Amino acid sequence: MTGEPPSMEDKLADLRLQYAVKIHERVRELQKAIKKLEDVDEDARHKVLVDVRDITHKLAGSGATFGFPEVTTVARQMEHACVDYLDGHGLGVIALEQLLIDASNELNTAAQVKPVGQPSQYVPDIPTRFREPEPTLHNSDRKAALFVMEYDEETMSQVQLEMDHFGFDVRIVDHPSKLIEDFRANGPVDVIVTGLVFDNDETTALRALSIFREDEACRDVPVVAYTLADTMALRLGAVRVGVKAYLVKPVDLADLVVVLDHVTLRHEDEPFHVLIIDDDESLAHHTEAVLQSAGMTTKIILDHQNLFAVLDEFSPELILLDLYMPDVSGEEIATIIRQREEYAGIPIVFLSGEADKDKQLSAMELGGDDFLTKPIQASHLISSVRIRAERFRELRSFMLRDSMTGLFNHTTTKQLLENEIARATRSGGQLALAAIDIDHFKGVNDAYGHAVGDRVIKALSRLLRQRLRSADVIGRMGGEEFAAILSDTGLEEVLSVFDQIRKAFSEIVFHTNDKSFSVTISCGVAVYPQFDSATTLSDAADKALYTAKEAGRNCVVKASG
Amino acid sequence: MSNAELSKILYVEDDPDIQVVAQMALEAVGGFTLRVCSSGHEALKFGADFAPDLILLDVMMPEMDGPTTLVNLRGIPSLAQTPAVFMTAKVMPSDVERYKQLGAVDVIAKPFDPMTLASRIQEIWSARHDG
Repeated sequence: MTGEPPSMEDKLADLRLQYAVKIHERVRELQKAIKKLEDVDEDARHKVLVDVRDITHKLAGSGATFGFPEVTTVARQMEHACVDYLDGHGLGVIALEQLLIDASNELNTAAQVKPVGQPSQYVPDIPTRFREPEPTLHNSDRKAALFVMEYDEETMSQVQLEMDHFGFDVRIVDHPSKLIEDFRANGPVDVIVTGLVFDNDETTALRALSIFREDEACRDVPVVAYTLADTMALRLGAVRVGVKAYLVKPVDLADLVVVLDHVTLRHEDEPFHVLIIDDDESLAHHTEAVLQSAGMTTKIILDHQNLFAVLDEFSPELILLDLYMPDVSGEEIATIIRQREEYAGIPIVFLSGEADKDKQLSAMELGGDDFLTKPIQASHLISSVRIRAERFRELRSFMLRDSMTGLFNHTTTKQLLENEIARATRSGGQLALAAIDIDHFKGVNDAYGHAVGDRVIKALSRLLRQRLRSADVIGRMGGEEFAAILSDTGLEEVLSVFDQIRKAFSEIVFHTNDKSFSVTISCGVAVYPQFDSATTLSDAADKALYTAKEAGRNCVVKASG
Repeated sequence: MSNAELSKILYVEDDPDIQVVAQMALEAVGGFTLRVCSSGHEALKFGADFAPDLILLDVMMPEMDGPTTLVNLRGIPSLAQTPAVFMTAKVMPSDVERYKQLGAVDVIAKPFDPMTLASRIQEIWSARHDG
């Protein structure tokens, strides 16, 4: 990849991809606006249609430039429909709404980037949710789909049973040759667990996976190897076909669940927060546009006076810093940031036209992690930022999260509650706090041992993750105690969400030796602004939890007061 | 003036997607020096210092649209005579007439082809200087 500069065609192909991603976002925004058309008054409708007109005007003017002539055609139709309506001689509202919705769906199709060289009938088979995860709502009970390749019948049935409890939909095949066939028939999955040795050949599974990876839609499915064989050659082969974790048998299945959660982890889907510090506004916006096209969340600081306020509010995971600014140097800013303990570890990447290696090195001595020389190709910028932000997130998670469940630990949860309340106060919104406790947990430990108790804790942690939204905060407060912070959620909603969680948890059957049992939870909930500080809100939720325990457990109680 | 080379272009466009691709088309393919401005205000702020040979403006922009931006740029003495070209997704003959009255030498239709944008600009430039 080095040496040869990327051709104009490569760069365009790059931009084309980014543009396609953006169109899908744009269409979502459009559809949200359009759906309101019918219900609002004439003034508001006018405003919405002006927005839709402007957005489609832009799309019409850019589509074919990025190689999507259909986008131009469809967007232009939408623009004209809006203009006609605004001029007073168009369709009726209902017909207009229908036309806009239909057309916006066409936009999505028109901006489909088709994989090159793939059998074309294969692509439509992949359900769209695979490429574009739906926003996770409360109450969504979509299970993660787990694909298992294993010939050993005992392992097979054990995996099937246990993984179902942990909330996975399991599909099993007994030979890698059936992998692709099954995908075509039943659609993609969230994660694959596979043995490596089939037919006494260590390379069977790896070869199947490498063919599987050639398909665009299968490139990013995480794979976990679960095998008795452990050689350097096998591990290397596994890495080469993109195996994310390599587990050597025997592995406790509960530990396997932790690994599966880790490789499919939701918090990895959250957009990276990147702070851009640059005095050149247009360059900063350009950088921003590139990073946003890769799905990152960005913020620009042109004036560094309010740096710390922005750092605290935005909590970036990476800082892109211009080396030369009028009254201060990038090195100085980096030093200042590093002097604050909580930002000592944050990745700082210098972005500058400076090509002198010595100067680059001296900048890095003073706190930079990397040096990118402008002009930088969009895809290079994106991957440099992504790699560092990912690593930072992972490192930070060791400090912020509970090692058994991967949930936030006590301290972090408390801190996040303060942050969420501050945010709700600023925006005038609401939020809900739930305190959750496993009923008679000591009894479980005493009767079945700690290993089984741990499994119960992991099962609850997994259920909470699965049922709550990715933006919600879930913490393990210690022992069998959990807490959840649900932003923008009122009393009725939190009560209903947790009652469903309570019910779902009570239906999970745990197996040990020859016995099976189930466990219940109690839960207390309280909402802001009824309780308007972190302390009063926590106290109220704890009290409600206590009331739930008193009332006979296995129930959800709202705070009184 | 007739043998002047086109080198510096002041480019005013609010859509970041189009900015990126146009920048590539004009810098990498065309070899021009570009100053990209995201709004009319920015163009007014940086236009004079940049001293462009040509001004390239998007028509439809929020706050200050392309034609208004050009009128304001014309108020800066050093830019009063600089040739200007509009880019627009809405090319109506009546609009083209109006843009020309504002002193635009030509209008480029959007969406444009990034591979030929630079040569189209060069054509417009040469036509003006030959004619």
